[in-house]
Amino acid sequence: MIRRVALLPLLAAPAGCGGLQTIGGREGRDAAIINDLFTIFCIVTALFFVAVMAFLFAAYWRRKGHRRDGMPDPLEVPARTGALRIALAVWTGAVVAGLVGLALASYFTDRSLAYPNPGNRPVVSIELIGNQWWWDVRYHFQDPSKNFRTANELHLPAGSPAMVYLKANDVIHSFWVPNLAGKQDLIPGRVNDIVLLPTKVGHYRGQCAEYCGLQHAHMALDVIVDSPQDFARWMESQSRPATTPATPRQIAGYDFFMNRQCSSCHAVAGTRAGAGVGPDLTHLMSRKTIAAGTLPNGTGPLHAWIADPQGVKPGTNMPYIGLNADELHNVVAYLESLK
Amino acid sequence: MADRHGAHFLAAILAALLLSFAGFAAPLAAQQNGARPASSASPAEDGQWTMPSKDYASTRYSGLNQVDRANVGRLKLAFTFDTHNRKGHEAAPLVVGNMMYLTTPYPNHIWALDLAKGGRPVWVFRPHPQPASQGVACCDVVNRGAVYSNGRLFFTTLDGMVYAIDARSGRQIWGTKLGDISRGETITMSPLVAEGKVLVGNSGGEMGVRGWLVALDAGSGRIAWKAFSTGPDKDVLIGPRFKPWYASDRGTDLGVHTWPPEQWKIGGGTVWGWISYDPKLKMIYYGTGNPGPWNPQQRPGDNKWTTGVFARDIATGEARWFYQSSPHDLFDHDDINEQVLLDMPVNGRMTPVLVRPGRNGYMYVIDRRTGQVYSADAFGFINSMDGVDLATGRLRMVKDKEPKEGRVTRNICPTASGVKDWNPSAFSPRTGLLYVPHENLCMDEGVFEANYISGTPYVGAEVKMYAGPGGHRGVFTAWDPVRRKAVWEFNENLPLWSGALATGGDLVFYGTMDGWFKALDAVTGKQLWARKLDSGIISQPVTYRGPDGRQYVAVVTGVGGWMGAIVSAQLDPRDPTAALGAVNAMKDLPGLTQPGGKLYVFTLPR
Amino acid sequence: MSSPFRARAVGMRLFPGEGRGPAVRPVPLGPGLRRGTTLLALLLALPACDREQRDMAGQPKAETKSFVTSGDPRSAEYENNAFHIAQGQKWYGWFNCSGCHFHGGGGMGPPLMDEQWIYGGRMEDIVASILYGRPNGMPDWHDKITEQQAWELAAYVKSLSAQPRQDALSARADEMSNSEPQTLQGRKKVVPENMAPPGSEDR
Repeated sequence: MIRRVALLPLLAAPAGCGGLQTIGGREGRDAAIINDLFTIFCIVTALFFVAVMAFLFAAYWRRKGHRRDGMPDPLEVPARTGALRIALAVWTGAVVAGLVGLALASYFTDRSLAYPNPGNRPVVSIELIGNQWWWDVRYHFQDPSKNFRTANELHLPAGSPAMVYLKANDVIHSFWVPNLAGKQDLIPGRVNDIVLLPTKVGHYRGQCAEYCGLQHAHMALDVIVDSPQDFARWMESQSRPATTPATPRQIAGYDFFMNRQCSSCHAVAGTRAGAGVGPDLTHLMSRKTIAAGTLPNGTGPLHAWIADPQGVKPGTNMPYIGLNADELHNVVAYLESLK
Repeated sequence: MADRHGAHFLAAILAALLLSFAGFAAPLAAQQNGARPASSASPAEDGQWTMPSKDYASTRYSGLNQVDRANVGRLKLAFTFDTHNRKGHEAAPLVVGNMMYLTTPYPNHIWALDLAKGGRPVWVFRPHPQPASQGVACCDVVNRGAVYSNGRLFFTTLDGMVYAIDARSGRQIWGTKLGDISRGETITMSPLVAEGKVLVGNSGGEMGVRGWLVALDAGSGRIAWKAFSTGPDKDVLIGPRFKPWYASDRGTDLGVHTWPPEQWKIGGGTVWGWISYDPKLKMIYYGTGNPGPWNPQQRPGDNKWTTGVFARDIATGEARWFYQSSPHDLFDHDDINEQVLLDMPVNGRMTPVLVRPGRNGYMYVIDRRTGQVYSADAFGFINSMDGVDLATGRLRMVKDKEPKEGRVTRNICPTASGVKDWNPSAFSPRTGLLYVPHENLCMDEGVFEANYISGTPYVGAEVKMYAGPGGHRGVFTAWDPVRRKAVWEFNENLPLWSGALATGGDLVFYGTMDGWFKALDAVTGKQLWARKLDSGIISQPVTYRGPDGRQYVAVVTGVGGWMGAIVSAQLDPRDPTAALGAVNAMKDLPGLTQPGGKLYVFTLPR
Repeated sequence: MSSPFRARAVGMRLFPGEGRGPAVRPVPLGPGLRRGTTLLALLLALPACDREQRDMAGQPKAETKSFVTSGDPRSAEYENNAFHIAQGQKWYGWFNCSGCHFHGGGGMGPPLMDEQWIYGGRMEDIVASILYGRPNGMPDWHDKITEQQAWELAAYVKSLSAQPRQDALSARADEMSNSEPQTLQGRKKVVPENMAPPGSEDR
């Protein structure tokens, strides 16, 4: 009974092989390369595992002599045959060949990873800054007047390399989108970089992979790989300044935003709010999640988050402000207009 | 025997006549290099001092020569006047007829003193600026002086007002509000009044303020035109007559395209320094301040039109040319220093130029018709820049001195306040030399992301300043603009933050931050006279002919300003980053002087 | 008679079946050892009590309008708390306090690291200065930050002159080298006499 129940968790194992955040993913160049290496290692080591197990069973099955306690009789000497010597040589050769093969596979994989842009293609340039506990995403262009800023969501064009510069403002974080590439740390005082070359359009999930404090577990990143046309369209919409509020509720929310605590930390392009210590909210409604993947984006979660961020994500740097119901509805109405 | 006595008597009378004659003396012979002030901008000497720069050419030179190298050692105190204000006094006293006008720092009182009655105050004008303006003034609550024109005094106040008052009665004629302190704007500069217009610029480059220059009608106080320093061409008053000399200054809406989006709206370029005017060309010349924030990584691009020199039509404000001294400024090198308008030989030909000792440490000689830079030579120690490429006009930067987030860049020379800050130089047509009071300071700087909250500082930098090579923090340089080199230099322990005064007696006057008011020989640089006053001197000394026909030299004490804030605001020397790094360089100042605010007037004994 | 402090062996065989003899049953702790352990645990727990207590939602319990009465009960919660001082250190940079006051030395605003308090040096005085501003240039922040953030800022401001307990003070700054860490500075006692009477400053 106990043994059978112990097998149940194995049923969950295949879940790690597919989905939007999985090390089994192959949707990026780096992820595919690492996956191939993993497969080679699996096959080679599996073969050796099977061989070793086979020899072990053979040895047990063919053991000579018995004693009452089951231990081998020391007076029984196994026959020395030439076959045994040959077998030993073959086995040694196989092991050496296997190890050399693995070493070569590892070397070539590392080499591929180290030259992420062999054709020297033009890249999308992104600056990703890790904060406790959200991601500040900035797109940079040759013409600085085209730069824009967003948060917790990364868009990449399929088939083009993207150079992501990694910085941190407070403690060490780590950028990890397993479907696309391996991990790369964000270290305060240092600029790291990673090149992402996504190959398949889709929505993937990234995660902070270095413990960074109380809400490390709620520091996720949505990575959306678009077709080149969709990507261009997305970039164009992100460069536009924020929509102006229209309805009375939105205007009341805008006034609250500009005159109260919101604009001390958040920026909305095209308005007086230019603060950079919190996420940029100019196109908040274009994003899939809020609070770095903690809640899905939508009216209900927005109300919950703004009403009591400490209840949703205790320890987060957004304080409990204590808005009354009217103020809350106004602010959410304004934020929902920021498409 | 009677003949000899008679001869002596005659000689004595002649000597007395010569001594009392205070007029324009003939230029010195050998050292003249051909440089002279632009004639239309520099009228004949009248013994008055009606604007801080003395004339539109900004020579700060008086032809009075009663006090000269021979007798300056006998200068004695004629009278004093205590303003009872203990903040940094930067203003130049004005002398019109028998009246002297003093401008104090916040709360910006204007005193009228009767020189015929020993400096007795006749009236005082109290504009009552908003006290909250003290909280958004970056570098002490200073004011650089009022201006007299046509029976009126024009001046600015810290909370962004411009006033016109009657010079005889002290009554207000008009007051116009230009600056908004809730956005971090203040006004500290001395206006320029010409052609019926009062030109005023704002301060606040450390507060995320967008810079501008406004022309008010002198009669009514209404705005005639307003030219921003950033933003689209229509805001900057750039039109078809705009013809910058260098290619990198040509294009459409560069005031937007050389910034990340929206950043130009809080981008700085304030106009808090000096304006010169050429009445023949009808053009004004002024520089714009630093781009904001100090952290350059937050504003990639050239950041037009900050840290550069504008030439504009005074009537309409249209820009005629622009030269950017420090594109994508890295070090807070506001370009607001004075420009002295000279006609001088350049490559053998007499050329109308403006000479400006740049904040970044280069002495620029620029053609004032076109904006072409003829020369830019270092007049102090510089290791963060590598000269100006005269073909493209671009400043060459040293890569590893660039401040970057995440690290501290050490030993950047010159410091943020530059080789020379706002304190103006003086030009003597007799020697042909420009007398430049300046500094020798270097700094360590670390930058980080600045958070913009309207009305609060928007800097993003930590600075620590200290003395440059040699250990002396101040230098007084006599510079030959034609031969492009220093003729002599006088080192000072403390940075020089006072203006310079040049006189026809071949003397130059300036004050030190610990209160020494000095006269140097304009030709050789030898110190001829010095008097220790009650407080450090950061104001602009002037000289005038008094009601009794004698020459007087006046200066106002009262240490403060950016460098002197440690004394005037009683800052704590244990924090070297205080006052944007100045405290570290001036830790010894509280032991050398104290806050003050007093006018001292000197003259020769009878 | 057994001494209360004589330890009794508590043993369990690591490898059942190894060696000789039956396995020994676990022996419970004697009353003496139990008492001693409890005492030790209590002694260890005491100092760690309040160094870093976190109240994330920080809803101020009373209206922060009247500061006439001294000894505001919230001072105790914030003043010697390492977490709140650290949060205050973060807000100090975020909300540009360092832009005017730098790291205690002052500049556009007065120094915060010395013994002179123009408007009062008690926690509630500092909170009032922050939330409601002061006449000569200190802006009012009651709309721009929350009350808890103001209290945390006040705790940090007090730490600039090394007022709080040594173990609560921040041991290092987040920016380039400036003054000595407050943990190395001598503690300055703030008494009401250190408050400059109104009007004595030339402000």
